[in-house]
Amino acid sequence: MSISVTFLRPFARFLVPFTLHRKSRNLYSTVLQRNMSSKIPSLSYPNKESASPPEQLELDGWKTTMKSSVQEDVSTVSSNKDEDPLAATRELIEMWRLLGREVPERITEDELKTIMQCASKSSKKKYLKYLYIKEKVKKARQIKKEAKAAAREEFKKSKLLETTEEDKQQNFLFLRLWDRNMDIAMGWKGAQAMQFGQPLVFDMAYETHMTPKELQNTISQLLESEGSNRRNVDPFHIYFCNLKTDSAYHRELIKRYGEKWDKLLLTATEKSHVDLFPKDSIIYLTADSPNVMTTFKHDKIYVVGSFVDKHMQPGISLAKAKRLKLATECLPLDKYLQWDVGSKNLTLDQMIRILLCLKNTGNWEEALKFVPRRKHTGYLEVSQYSQEFINRMKKAKTFNSLSKGSLNGRTQKRWLE
Amino acid sequence: MTFCLSGIGSFAKLWKSNPVLLGRGHSYLSLFLTDFCGIRNQQRWFSLKTMSPQNTKATDLLIAKARHLRKDEGSNKQVSSDSSHLFLAGAAKKRSQMNPQSKDHALPPVKNTIELPTKPLNSKEWDKLKEDFKGKVNFESWISSQMAQCRSSVDVAKSLLAWVAAKNNGIVGYDLLVKYLHLCVFHKQTSEVIDVYEIMRARYKSLEPEANTLLIRGLIHSDRWREALLLLEDIKKVMTPSRKNYSDCIQGALLHQDVNIAWNLYQELLAHDLIPMLETLKAFFDFGKDIEDDHYSKKLLDILLYLRNNHLYPGESFAHSIKTWFESIPGQQWKGQFTTIQNSGQCSGCGKTIESIHLSPEEYEFLKGKIMRDVIDGGDQYKKTTPWELKRFKNFVKSCPPFDIVIDGLNVAKMFPKARESQVLLELVSQLAKQNLRLLVLGRKHMLKKSPRWRKDEMEMVREQASCFFADNISEDDPFLLYATLHSGNHCKFVTKDLMRDHKACLSDSKTQHLFFKWQQGHQLAIRNKFPGSGITFQHILSHDTVVQTTGDSWHIPYDEDLVERYSYEVPTKWLCLHRKT
Repeated sequence: MSISVTFLRPFARFLVPFTLHRKSRNLYSTVLQRNMSSKIPSLSYPNKESASPPEQLELDGWKTTMKSSVQEDVSTVSSNKDEDPLAATRELIEMWRLLGREVPERITEDELKTIMQCASKSSKKKYLKYLYIKEKVKKARQIKKEAKAAAREEFKKSKLLETTEEDKQQNFLFLRLWDRNMDIAMGWKGAQAMQFGQPLVFDMAYETHMTPKELQNTISQLLESEGSNRRNVDPFHIYFCNLKTDSAYHRELIKRYGEKWDKLLLTATEKSHVDLFPKDSIIYLTADSPNVMTTFKHDKIYVVGSFVDKHMQPGISLAKAKRLKLATECLPLDKYLQWDVGSKNLTLDQMIRILLCLKNTGNWEEALKFVPRRKHTGYLEVSQYSQEFINRMKKAKTFNSLSKGSLNGRTQKRWLE
Repeated sequence: MTFCLSGIGSFAKLWKSNPVLLGRGHSYLSLFLTDFCGIRNQQRWFSLKTMSPQNTKATDLLIAKARHLRKDEGSNKQVSSDSSHLFLAGAAKKRSQMNPQSKDHALPPVKNTIELPTKPLNSKEWDKLKEDFKGKVNFESWISSQMAQCRSSVDVAKSLLAWVAAKNNGIVGYDLLVKYLHLCVFHKQTSEVIDVYEIMRARYKSLEPEANTLLIRGLIHSDRWREALLLLEDIKKVMTPSRKNYSDCIQGALLHQDVNIAWNLYQELLAHDLIPMLETLKAFFDFGKDIEDDHYSKKLLDILLYLRNNHLYPGESFAHSIKTWFESIPGQQWKGQFTTIQNSGQCSGCGKTIESIHLSPEEYEFLKGKIMRDVIDGGDQYKKTTPWELKRFKNFVKSCPPFDIVIDGLNVAKMFPKARESQVLLELVSQLAKQNLRLLVLGRKHMLKKSPRWRKDEMEMVREQASCFFADNISEDDPFLLYATLHSGNHCKFVTKDLMRDHKACLSDSKTQHLFFKWQQGHQLAIRNKFPGSGITFQHILSHDTVVQTTGDSWHIPYDEDLVERYSYEVPTKWLCLHRKT
């Protein structure tokens, strides 16, 4: 025993905390210790002799602690190891969290089941990351809320102390009922639009092309679009066409709007837009269209597909328009903007803001302010665009004459010089 | 780096002042390569020299250079046959290099605030190092992941863990343990792996796949390799093990002479629809050298057939293993050699003709139906065309006798950006028409409209010499091209430079995609010219199919060279020719 203690002295301070409690195991660990340290290959250091011995001995100290301090855990291992895959997944997530992976701290049964249903490893990880971010955002918001509440409390207290005596009557013209007044005013305007407004159709026939997540995004965008339309000076009369009762769209919309759904000032219908309006006045807006929109026409009915396409399936909305033989148009993004990155499909709320702006001002530069800044590097001068066009035409002409020369007498080289 | 040196001058002797000597670089490289070949005692020496980022970069550069040189040699040899064929290995890489816009990707700047220690430190030194460290993240996990990345020696990592444990009542976090395990596995320190395994099993109820993977990899070299199989079972409880897990387990079983387990695992791997790693297959062949067992050899031949069916190609070392195994079969006297295939489709080694690229009639009909259904129709005829246009096209094709060559008018016409489109098209059409071939030109309607680039008289001349079909401007013309070619029969070829990858992707399963690719290799004429007006020449069509194949007493196996980069739509050029001496 005494030998082992002297042997241990260099790293005694590591072992002290548990040697006191578990004397019986001390001897064992020392023996183990010695075995292990002998296992370290000695060829690793040519100058090992010169290195101080304590360093060598320290290296394995932690292992014995780790091994011996586990007795309690071990007992649970055998009993708790049921074959329940849910529990196994929960443990897996816990281990991943220890590794610093992006997984949520807390997870519900339903979420666990969703994870089990994920087909592949990567989809599992993706979903876990989504939950992780959601949890983080929620937590941050909670903290902010608490801080705000605390600040408000503080403010109230200080106000109570200071201004109790200055509580005198003041003369006001209005009661503070701005929000409600605004709601009512928007309601009036909405009713007016229902009677006389220009129709704007959201085509809801894309349910089969979307994943549940995309559908959720679509609904969010629809809510946003309806909101900005309501606030406008001269709102559109919005139609939700092809909206089947009890479809996922319908259910989700009712869920999000709640009681408001039945009081919304828009037309939701199961019918198609071709049944409601004359075919020749409909224009289907799609980024795949070969025709570019030049002006906003106040007598046309514009149709926007309520479709979030994250999987890049081009030509679906164009196919829909082709099938119904409708006119199609796309926004003149290339004409006015120096496009940089991103797809030319804009979100629904951006779309409706652009259309509202065009309707009210007819100014393209103004309207295209709603295109996200990250997607383009700046506005093109219209004159610049036409200049480019002229240049291109010129080039084509010179090359025509050039290649004619090459066909006739192979004088290509000279021409190029 | 200067910061570090000035900050901790007191024990600067512990730090390797990493000199990047050019002369040393070569030795590094050679060591690096031997390390891969599995010479272990050298590797041990090497690993102790913790590579600083600069050194890794230097080695990387050298390797890249060597690769580059080798590739040039390879391509020089190949030049004699064809400068760059569309579908042959390395062609895409070469094309991308010809493009001046693609610059070499600059390496991201290495932000390293602290130099990694090369020797075990004691706790005071670790404390000091921690004080010097400035960063948002946890110092311990940061430094351990750095060490795992730079492959520090195990002892350094161990001293870190000892320090952490001392601070923390003898408890070391799970992430540190996993990173330590990573180092142990990398340096093949089996006893350490077993120690960590014991610790983990004792401390934690279950592990996650990363640790399990590392443990499996570490344990297969020890006597306790069977426990690796238990770990594999653990992984299976929550998710499908990766093919790497299976590969490790199989190699462990083979290492310990347990053939049955290895084959069972292999079957399981295939049952999970995983594609086995070539390493795994190679291990079977390597192991096969030592045993004489008909059953075993039959299974190896099954592996070769698996390669054939899934269009997989072995790597260079795997090809060597296959060759060695064949030559080691007693009494059969196999002889193997590495060769190439001539343009005529004959093996330069034995003169035998390689399988033809042409599809069998059933395959042909199958592919035709699939293209019609998946590529052109695709569930919605309006997506690529319209039903009335499709009908018009079908009637048109039916009314014409089979064509010899179908031309993608727009693709051909746009080939030379400086020449007029209609003129290039006319040139090609008249050249082909002189050979008395029945031509079909596919295009879009806008080509008929008079414009500076499309002249009416030239288009008239095209229409005189060839049948033409013009699709709507918003329809896709490639599906029509594919269908017209397939409809005309096996002799019909098509002219385009398009690789048709998007259409291949429309096909539902990989079997059909392979069929399509095979058909494409045999029927696509790609134009080779770089300048207009000099008589158009085509790339030769491969007459043989590049796939593992046998005639009973001979095997021909295409393989990938280690230093040639092959894209997924290219096929290897090198072959292993095996035949029995008679």
